[in-house]
Parts: sequence; C-alpha cells; structure tokens
Amino acid sequence: MKTRDLIIGIVILVVALLLFWKSGQEMTEKRPVVVVYVSEDRVFSEPILKDFEKETGITVKAVYDTEEAKSTGVMNRLIAEKSNPQADVYWANEPIRAEILKQKGVSAPYLSPNAKEIPKIFKDPDGFWTGFSARARVLIVNSGINERPESILAYTETRWRGKSVIANPLFGTTTAHIAALFTYWGDDRADAFMRAMKRNGVALSTSNGESADFVAAGRYAFSLVDSDDAVNRIRQGRPVTMVYPDQKPDEPGCFIVPNAVLLIKGAPHPKEARRLVDYLLSKETEHKLAFADCAQIPLHPDVEIPEELQPIDTIRIMQVDYAKVAAKLLEIQPYLKRWVSE
Amino acid sequence: MRLFLASIVSILLFIGIVPILAMLIKAFMPDDTIPSLFGSMQTWMLMRHSVILASLVTVSTFLLGIPLGIFLGKTDLPFRRFFIFLFLIPLLVPPYIIAVAWSDLFQMSGLPLHWLSGLPGSLFILVSVYLPLPMLLTMIFLHTVHPHLEEAGRLVATWPLTLWRVTLPLIRPALLLAALLVFLLALGEFSVPMYLRYNVYAVESFTQFSAFYNFEAATAAAIPLVLFAALLTVAENRYLRNRIAIPRHFAQKNEFLRITLGRNRWSVLTGMACLAAIFVAMPIGSLLLQAGGIDSYLRALHVAGDALLRSFFYAFVGASVLTFFGFFTGYLFLKKPFYAARTIDPLLLFLFTLPGTVIGIALITFWNTPSTNIVYATTLIVLFGYLAKYTALTARISLATLAMVPPSMEEAAQMTGAGWFQRMIHIVIPLTRHGILGAWVVASLFILRDISITILLYPPGHDTLPVRIFTLMANGSPQLIASLCIVMIAAVVVPAAVAWGWFHYWGTKR
Amino acid sequence: MKIVRFEQVTCRYDEQTILDTFSLDVEQGERLVILGPSGSGKTTLLRLLAGFVAPHRGTIYIEENAVSRDGRILVPPEQRQIGMVFQDLALWPHMNVEENIGFGLKIKGVGTTERNRRVDTILKLVGLPDFRKKRPSELSGGEQQRVALARALILEPKILLMDEPLSSLDESLSRHLAHEIVHLQEKFGFTLLYVTHRSEEARIVGTRQLEI
Repeated sequence: MKTRDLIIGIVILVVALLLFWKSGQEMTEKRPVVVVYVSEDRVFSEPILKDFEKETGITVKAVYDTEEAKSTGVMNRLIAEKSNPQADVYWANEPIRAEILKQKGVSAPYLSPNAKEIPKIFKDPDGFWTGFSARARVLIVNSGINERPESILAYTETRWRGKSVIANPLFGTTTAHIAALFTYWGDDRADAFMRAMKRNGVALSTSNGESADFVAAGRYAFSLVDSDDAVNRIRQGRPVTMVYPDQKPDEPGCFIVPNAVLLIKGAPHPKEARRLVDYLLSKETEHKLAFADCAQIPLHPDVEIPEELQPIDTIRIMQVDYAKVAAKLLEIQPYLKRWVSE
Repeated sequence: MRLFLASIVSILLFIGIVPILAMLIKAFMPDDTIPSLFGSMQTWMLMRHSVILASLVTVSTFLLGIPLGIFLGKTDLPFRRFFIFLFLIPLLVPPYIIAVAWSDLFQMSGLPLHWLSGLPGSLFILVSVYLPLPMLLTMIFLHTVHPHLEEAGRLVATWPLTLWRVTLPLIRPALLLAALLVFLLALGEFSVPMYLRYNVYAVESFTQFSAFYNFEAATAAAIPLVLFAALLTVAENRYLRNRIAIPRHFAQKNEFLRITLGRNRWSVLTGMACLAAIFVAMPIGSLLLQAGGIDSYLRALHVAGDALLRSFFYAFVGASVLTFFGFFTGYLFLKKPFYAARTIDPLLLFLFTLPGTVIGIALITFWNTPSTNIVYATTLIVLFGYLAKYTALTARISLATLAMVPPSMEEAAQMTGAGWFQRMIHIVIPLTRHGILGAWVVASLFILRDISITILLYPPGHDTLPVRIFTLMANGSPQLIASLCIVMIAAVVVPAAVAWGWFHYWGTKR
Repeated sequence: MKIVRFEQVTCRYDEQTILDTFSLDVEQGERLVILGPSGSGKTTLLRLLAGFVAPHRGTIYIEENAVSRDGRILVPPEQRQIGMVFQDLALWPHMNVEENIGFGLKIKGVGTTERNRRVDTILKLVGLPDFRKKRPSELSGGEQQRVALARALILEPKILLMDEPLSSLDESLSRHLAHEIVHLQEKFGFTLLYVTHRSEEARIVGTRQLEI
C-alpha cells in the first residue's frame, strides 16, 4: 500500500467522521431551533411543522413516533431523557400520554394565550398539557342496515349478535376508550359491559382502520372506530355512515380524544418552544387538521369544518377526567390482556 | 501494539458491554418486577409462542436452506449466481418491508388478511427473511470440505449418498451454528410478529417498554433473551469456534468438486424459479404494483430523499468505523497477545445476538446525562449503537481472512526490521484487503437495513430511510409506503449487486 | 566470540515440552546445521532466537546481550538484526521482486536511488538480474528461493536463520543451491543456523552439525 493512498484514505475518513458527528449537532446556535417529539401520525403532523418553519423562520427538528403498537415510543425517550432533556415540545396524539408525562415530572406548565377558548375538560388545569384538534370515538355503520345503532350498548344487544367488530383493546384509542368507560361507569358496570360484549360474539380486528374496512365491506354491521377512520371511508364513497353514539340526555356521551401539546421541563429552547405550542393551539392549525385526511374536530368554537364533521359544541361529550383515565388505563392492562386471550 | 489493541478493545467494551451491564444491574435493584414477571401465566404463554415460532422458523429454513445451498453452491445449475443474489434480497432489507409487501399482495388480490396474521404469517415471513442464512453458510462451508474426502466417497457411492454421508456430516458444526443463529434472530425479532399480531416474548419486552414506560420491566423481560444469547455464545465458543471461525482448508476454484445435474437441471431450475417467485418476486412485485408509476417514486424521493442520503452517509461512516474496529479485534483474537483477548469475540457475538432495542435502551440510559451530551446529543450515539451491535460481523470476517494469511508473512517483515504498525500497513492490510472490503460491504448493508438501533437513538431531525418509512406507515397512503419500500429495496440491492459483481470479477480474475 | 548463546532454555508448547534445559553456543562465522526428526524442536530453536516465541525458562544471548529471558522477550524480533529464510519462503504476493527485497531498506528510510542500487547488487549476486518487476507467483521454486535469500541478505545481518529452505525443491536443484548458500556465507561472513532433515544438505552446508 502506498503511504500517500493511506494518508488520503485516513483524511477522507476523518473528515467524514467529523461531518457525521457535526451533522447531528445544531450547526449554529444563532439560528433559532426547536426540537419537538411527535406522536401524532407523521403524515399529518409534518406539514403543520413545515408551515411553522416557513412562517417563523425557526428550524424544527423532529423525532416522530411510529404507529402505536409498533412504536418504541418517543414518549419513552422523553422519560429516559428526563434528567437531560433534548426536546422542547411534545405533541401527543392523545391526552393519556400527556398525563403520564405530567405524573412523571417530565412536562412543565404553560398556559398558552391561544388556549383560552378551548373547553376546560380538554386542558390540564395547571397547564401541564393542552388539548387541541380531536378525534371522536364514533360508530361506523354499514348503510345497508335497516336500523342504526345509536349507542355503544348495541355491542351487548342480542339483535346485533355476531354482527359487531372492535379493534384489539390492547392497543391505541380503543384502550383509552375502555379505560374511560371504567372511569365513567365504575369497575363493576364496565366489567359487565365487557363480558356482555364478549358473550354477544364481538369480533376482534387488528386496528380501527381494519374494523372500518370490515364494516364498509359489509362483513359486520358496525364498529367503534375513530372519527377519522369513518370520515375517510365516507370520502372514499364507501357505503357507510357515521354515528356519534350515546347522545341522549341520560347516556354517557361521545368519548373525545384530543391531541395534546406540552412543554418539556428544562427545555433547551424555551422561547421557541412556547411559540410552537402557541402555533399548534391556534385556530389556523385546527383548521388545517380539520381539512386534512385526518379530519380532526377543532376544539375552538368558531373554526370552519368539513361537512362530514359536527362542531364540538353540538356533540354530547363524555365527561371524564383524563388524569383518572390515564391511571385507569395502566390499572386495567392485565384485565384487558385476559379479556383478549380468554 | 499491545497498547493500541488494548485501547481498541477497551473502547468496544466501554461502548457495548458497560451500558448493558449498567442496565442489568439497575434492573435488578428494585427487584419486585422479576418474580411477578416469571410468576404469571401470561409470560409462559408468550415464551411458548416465542419458542414455537423460533423453532418452526429454524426447522423450515433448514429444510429449505440446506438443499438450496447445495443446489446453488455445489452443482452446475445455470444462473446460480443470479438465484443466490435473488434469495439474499429479503435478508438485506428491513424484515417489516416483506411483511408490508405481503399484506399489500393480500389486499390487492382480495385474500382475507387474517390468513396472514398470527403464527402462519409470521412464520412464512421470517422464513423468507432468514432462509439465506443456512443457504449461505452451507455454500461457504461446502468449500471447507477437502475434495479428497468427497472423491473417496464418490468411489463407492452416488453423489446424493456422498453428500448425505460425507459432506454434510463434515460441515455439521457450521450448520449447527446457522441453526442457532436463525433460532436466536427469530426469537429476538419483534417487528414482524408485531405487525402481524402474533404475541411473542420479544414483543412483550418491547411493549413493556413502549406501552407501559416501564424500564425495569422491559429489562426484566429482556433477560430471557439475554440468557438465550449468552447460552448460544457459550455453546458456540465451547464447541464450534475452532472448527468454524478458522477453516483449515478452503477449496480453490479448480479443485472444488461440482455436481453435474445433467438432464435434471431443468426440473431443478424450475423448482428454483418457483421458490424465487414465492419468496422474492411476489412480494417485490406487489410493492411495484402498489407503488404505480414514476410519479410516486418522485414523490417518495421528495418526501424521503434527505433520509435516503443520510442512510448512505451513516452506512459509509458506520461501515468504515466498524471495519476498523472489527479488523483489529479479529487480529487481536487471532494472535491473542494477552488473556483478555479471548473474551472479546464471545462478547461481540453476544451483543450481535441481543435484540437491537435492548442495546438501544441500554445506550440511552447510559449516555443520557448532561455531561455526555457530546455523545448523546449528536450522531455519535447512533454510531455507538452500530458499533455495539454489528462489530461481531466485521470482526468475524476479518478473523477468517486474517487466519488465511500465513504467520510467516508478518514474521518475515519483522525480520527485516518492520515495527508493528509498518507490518500492518505494508503487509497484513494489503494481504487481507479483499476481506476488509467484504467486511465493509457487509457492515454497510446491515447499517442500511437497521431499524431497531437507529429508531431509538437518532438525534432529532436526523432519521434514516427505514425509520422514515416506519414513521410514515401510520396512516400514510399505501401507494406512498410501497414506493418508499421500493426505494429502500433499491438502495440496498443496487449497491449489493455492484459489490456482488465486483467480488465475482475479482474471484474469476484470481 | 560466541555470537549466540542458549542458557538452560526450556520451551513448552501446549503442555508439551519441546526443549528441556537446552544449552548451546554458536561461534561467530559458523555454519551450524541443526538436524532432527520432525517435532524435535528444530524450528522452535530458530523461532526462539528470532524472538517469535519466548522461552519459559532460561536466557538467550546475542553478542553477550540477553534478548529473551524466563518467558519474556527483551528485544523484539525487528530489533535483533537477524535475517531469516522461512520454510514457505513467505514472499509477499502483493509486492514484486524489487519491492520484496527492498522492503527492509524502505522501512529503515533508505532513499530510492540507494535502495535501487543495493537491490541491483544483491540480485546480481543471487543470479536474478532481470527479475526486478516480476511477482513471486511468476517465479519458479528455485527463483523464489533466491529472492527470499536476497531479501534476508540485503540488510547484511550478522546471523542468518534458514528453516528447511530447500525442502520443496528437487534434489539436484537443492544440492546446487546449498552450494550457493555456502558460497554466499563465505562472501558475507554471517553466522548461519540452518535447519534441515536431509543429511546430504547438512553435509554440504554445515561446518558443524547438531542433532536434537
């Protein structure tokens, strides 16, 4: 080997190594940067963050989560990094994780001026997280059915025996929904509901999306899914309708799952972080998310919405404390595992 | 020399083993999770699932892989190089891509998706992913059988009988190693069973971490996997290493005995084509169909072009560093100038068999402090992850090539007054350059396909293509995902094909 | 003067004792032939002197300086100024004849012109003047042998070790080369330790024979 070649090789390697190392750092502290960890689907969240970059000139560096069941969870990264925070902001796709982060002391309080009009139920009272753009847990119903189920109790009624499907309750929003029922009804009643549902021959699918497809294909009459799953099928022209369940006065109401944004305690860029939180909580962001494929329901009262959706103030909402739901969710995990495997 | 090699080893140990140890100690401290973990029926059920899946994958890959290795490596089958490469593809891409491809295929052809979910689907996809391992090892180790032994067999028996009674028993240790490796990789694999909803132990350890945010329980759940990995390492070290790592004989092209298939070649060729269609052409074809025209690839490049470039960059730097460390580790292990050298190779193998997520978690907990931000807040942490997980590959390849250089080559240089560094630069490295290059290629391919390490460790805004696809899979349009998967496959397969061609060229030239 | 001295040297290899309290003196300018059946420790003797292995017990001296003692190598091989021709010759396949022979000079920092001159001289001496640019694989067995010898001699070592250097050649050629080796030794005056199992070679080369 020629000595010259060797030196050239080593120089190239060292330069590459330096570049590699530097590329992970912020190039200059002068250009404002904000680091955000995101659990909302990347397909929907990335455009919003790109707009923020364009409008403010602040560079956004993001770590995205993968689909819940497959994820290692940016949330764990946040917990692991508690003593040495790298992130400024966390964009959760549901308030449960935000609650857990509050309990673990990862988040910091911030009451954004843009959150004033958001209903109290969707906010942490001390500002440790704030909800925005929500999904509703709705019934997707095949249009070929004569009578439409109006309540989740349809799962337990004999006339729907073997005609219903629900996503595996070990994952995603379904878990949160069941935890909410346990909080709202109390353990005994919720347990009875779950047993009755099972006795009534409910089928399990792998995800809400799959449930929606099953219903659209006519394999099952109805399923509990997220509103975006239902809206998507409607926009595709599939023969389905969307029902907000339990809207009568004595019924529990519809379970709402808002996005949640929170500030990280000890965030390296607190100023930029607040601007990003404000931006996410703005009416403009809610408007964009309402008209995107995710069709999320704005929590501000007077934001324009697509025709498939219903304004939040016209929906009867299930009144639950998300902090209690979070605690319940952890508690009922073993119960749900048994329920699935039995 | 001792100082240099010792520092190489210490760096590796520090990067790889120390975080794992720290994590294990931490996990054992508040030790109420462990009894509860082993006490529950759920755990045993998952364990049973894991063992069933891993055993079935091992048996199936063997029943298919060994004949495949013999047909492709020992006979005069036409297009065998092409077939070898084709079968390698599923191993070269992240396993979840194969799963995505098959569910696309099912969706498009209207087959019920639930046929694919659970045990049958996981089994099928893991078999197609790990099939190349026994196939490759069979092919390689067929060359270590001395031709005279086979010729002696051929004097009294037909080829099939000779293969069965002489050749295969001679390479049994290598086959056993392949079996253990497949078993362990299948045991630690979580992305495919998770995607297809088959509850196995690795998924559980993973869910403990991702759904319940419970580091202790996740570590505790990882312990059986750690134990399995340790067991394999010990077994390999004890019984197989000396017969495998340093082959005594490697048949040259002209002395290697090849079976002439004669008239049977066409039926074998047809069978081979069918297998290739099932394991490779159908999934990739369905992705191509799903992806559609040029537009969607342009869109894919627009969405993930930066991640693709970053993937190449990481692979380049990572492979270079890994080759450097692997080379000197292999050298160290071959020459054993001091006692600690004996332990380094089993430790690296242990890390290689450990699930990437476990290494990732350990590295986060270890490096994530304000004083070590220079590592943690930069890409260096990703590099450390690769080093911990994949150095075993480059070390083993280096060891095998180094072992084929007669010690007298270096001693002769020593006699002319060359010091250790000079001997390395002028003699040893040039003599093993093809092995070094091979190690580099293998390392870069593994880094390109890596997801478990990168997804846990990448600094904000610096993800690679497999991670980008994984994060876009949630609610991304199937068309976009399919075109991204095709880009990913092309990103691995095109360089691999070039390397393959180059090695072939070099092989014929020699 | 005693140029090499083994003092009560014991050497073990994998539990097997190869040499047991072995002592030996070699005089300056001697041609010592070491004979013995395979496994008797002939090669080990050379490797001990070269410094590739350390004796478990005892001391080895070169020119009155202890170079190895009781399991430790005090002077590493590259600093012992010994030449060696290996049984497999160990010609580096990635270098041509000129590079093979000139390597030691290059390491010592000898400039290109001086190096070329000395390579020319030594190639003429071993009878291969026109082989500079050839690769080892293009040479015959006898030619390779000469290149290996030239590579060892160019550094003008005081001691030359040869480990069955002619074993792969046919009898008439090896007899011829054995005579040449004697001739070269007389010209350069180095001390030769020569291992072989062929008695005829031993007779031609040796001024003294040692049976172990």
